[in-house]
Amino acid sequence: MTRQLRSPTTIAFVAVVALLVVLPAIGSSFFVNFIMTRTLILGLAAATIVFLSAYGGMVSLAQLMLFGTAGFMFGNAVLEASPRGLNLGWAPWTAVVFALAVATAIAFLLGALSSRTTGIYFLMLTLVYAVIGYNVFAQVVPISGPSGITRITPPPPITQATHLYYAALLLSIGGYVVLKLVARTPFGLALQGVRDDPVRMASLGFRVPLHRALAFTLAGFIAGVAGLLNVWWNGQIDPASIGISPTLVLLIVAVIGGISHLEGAWLGAFVYVAANSYLRALPFVDRIGITEDRFNTVIGALVLLIMVLSPEGLSGVIQRLSNEGRRRFSRFSSRDGTGRVDTSGDDAGESPVVMIDSSTSPPTEERK
Amino acid sequence: MSPNAIMSSDREQVLRLRSIVMAFGRLFAVNGVDLDVAKGEHLAILGPNGAGKTTLFNVISGDLTPTRGTVMIKGVDCTSLPSRRRPRFGMARTYQKARSFPGLSVEDNLYLAVVGKRGRHLSLWRSGTDRSWREQARAAAETVWLTEELATPVSDLSHGQKRQLEIGMAVATDPDILLLDEPASGLSRGEREWLIELLSDLGADITLLLIEHDMDVALRVVDRVMVMADGQQIAAGTPSEIEHDPVVLQTYLGTGASA
Ligand SMILES: Nc1ncnc2c1ncn2[C@@H]1O[C@H](COP(=O)(O)OP(=O)(O)O)[C@@H](O)[C@H]1O
Ligand SMILES: [Mg+2]
Repeated sequence: MTRQLRSPTTIAFVAVVALLVVLPAIGSSFFVNFIMTRTLILGLAAATIVFLSAYGGMVSLAQLMLFGTAGFMFGNAVLEASPRGLNLGWAPWTAVVFALAVATAIAFLLGALSSRTTGIYFLMLTLVYAVIGYNVFAQVVPISGPSGITRITPPPPITQATHLYYAALLLSIGGYVVLKLVARTPFGLALQGVRDDPVRMASLGFRVPLHRALAFTLAGFIAGVAGLLNVWWNGQIDPASIGISPTLVLLIVAVIGGISHLEGAWLGAFVYVAANSYLRALPFVDRIGITEDRFNTVIGALVLLIMVLSPEGLSGVIQRLSNEGRRRFSRFSSRDGTGRVDTSGDDAGESPVVMIDSSTSPPTEERK
Repeated sequence: MSPNAIMSSDREQVLRLRSIVMAFGRLFAVNGVDLDVAKGEHLAILGPNGAGKTTLFNVISGDLTPTRGTVMIKGVDCTSLPSRRRPRFGMARTYQKARSFPGLSVEDNLYLAVVGKRGRHLSLWRSGTDRSWREQARAAAETVWLTEELATPVSDLSHGQKRQLEIGMAVATDPDILLLDEPASGLSRGEREWLIELLSDLGADITLLLIEHDMDVALRVVDRVMVMADGQQIAAGTPSEIEHDPVVLQTYLGTGASA
């Protein structure tokens, strides 16, 4: 237990969280309330894609649609006398519960519907969900506008931009920890079994489709939470924001970060948001032909570059560096120890730490 | 149908197959097989590649629903019962090509095998029973000599270790009907000896069905043999009868017995 608490992964996690907690005191308001809040929200949403893919073997394109659904539901439920939406005029926290319940219920239904498909078929089915979702909101005007729901404000204690930053931070940490912990429960282990070999899981006695459906439901709930943060941050939501191209953007965020590491989702979100904000602001950027319309090409090139350098995304790069670092460290420290690097507290990725035993492997290279 | 099948009517029948046919399109992989297996019996299924042995296993374990015929397990008609319901009949199997979960550790693989049978699949908490299941998983690791590798991701195991794990996942559930599909394939001589020892030590009330190419392994651990070719049973009997059966020598071994 104590060893696990002191593992490098935990230390890195605590350090990052500590930095994020004090950030509003040191960072500019733009950086905190724009870049970082947006990063946390997008990261939380992208983390649901990573979760489904890394632990369930399902690449979902429906997460942004669920994210948007929660946003629309909140807007409809909470507003009273706005020119748009249903104007149900409910108490803000009732609206929160309602929005999450709707997103979760839809996720359960859609998850159950697609629970017997995998791979490209699952991907296509979730793309269909995304398209249907977009069309529903675009065409059923009473629940989406006309042309979007505006003037949405966060519920009571969240009155300032920094509050929203902290809310996004808290929920991101919560989402991350929950998804990480779930992976270690019997349910989560079974989900990983389903990812690796559904036929074998069935013959061991598991209900494979049920596991997929429930994982999709959990991911839908968390996507809904991110969707709520998003409408609070944006103050509005319109159907175009859950169209096909934003749907793909969320997938891109997950892929840049590395689709097999949860942490990667936030990393990818940061790179995307930062690139989107700062690259645009570079001087002379329009002189070299990068206009607003062509900006997606820049993002595309960036994605391409990252993928070529590391198919595992940014978290793959970081993992490789940290493995390298640990290997050097273990070579150094193994003189008095057993030389065995303990990987049990590690979230063992594809590339495990190389075990070096200095007593059996003479350090030939070092002698030169 | 099969005059030389040994009917052990005095013992409880755990498995009864009647006229099993499994067709893939126009290919009859299994074509009319009858089989009775009594409790505690150790049966080997021999036959050349493509004889339909694995397909027959898939029918018994529920991975496939037969085109025709019935499968009775412990007196219950299970013909179209999905595979996930069969561990509760005490059935466990291995696959010819090791099918474990490469992304999980050895212990977690064995643990899933235990959980699969015992239930609480959706639990989000670790309970007291959960701890005893972990114990059970570790005990299975010991049985198949993988205690050293408990924390190792399965993707890092050697081929032989994967085979050991495959058997471990089957025995972890404490089965009383064990189906092993070519457990010795790809094992070294030493590992084979280990396997023979393991199989000979199986409790007397465990029913074993063993598909095995290695006659040496098969004939040393079973008390009855069924030989298949082209989806049908071509011979049955005790190991010593089978070893000298001219039909078997002809079709299966392709040696001796020049007819
Ligand atoms: N799922 C399947 N679809 C189509 N043909 C199959 C399938 N499984 C097995 N077969 C065919 O059935 C025959 C018997 O295969 P199998 O049962 O694996 O034989 P054995 O295990 O005795 O080597 C082979 O010709 C094989 O190609
Ligand atoms: Mg076979």
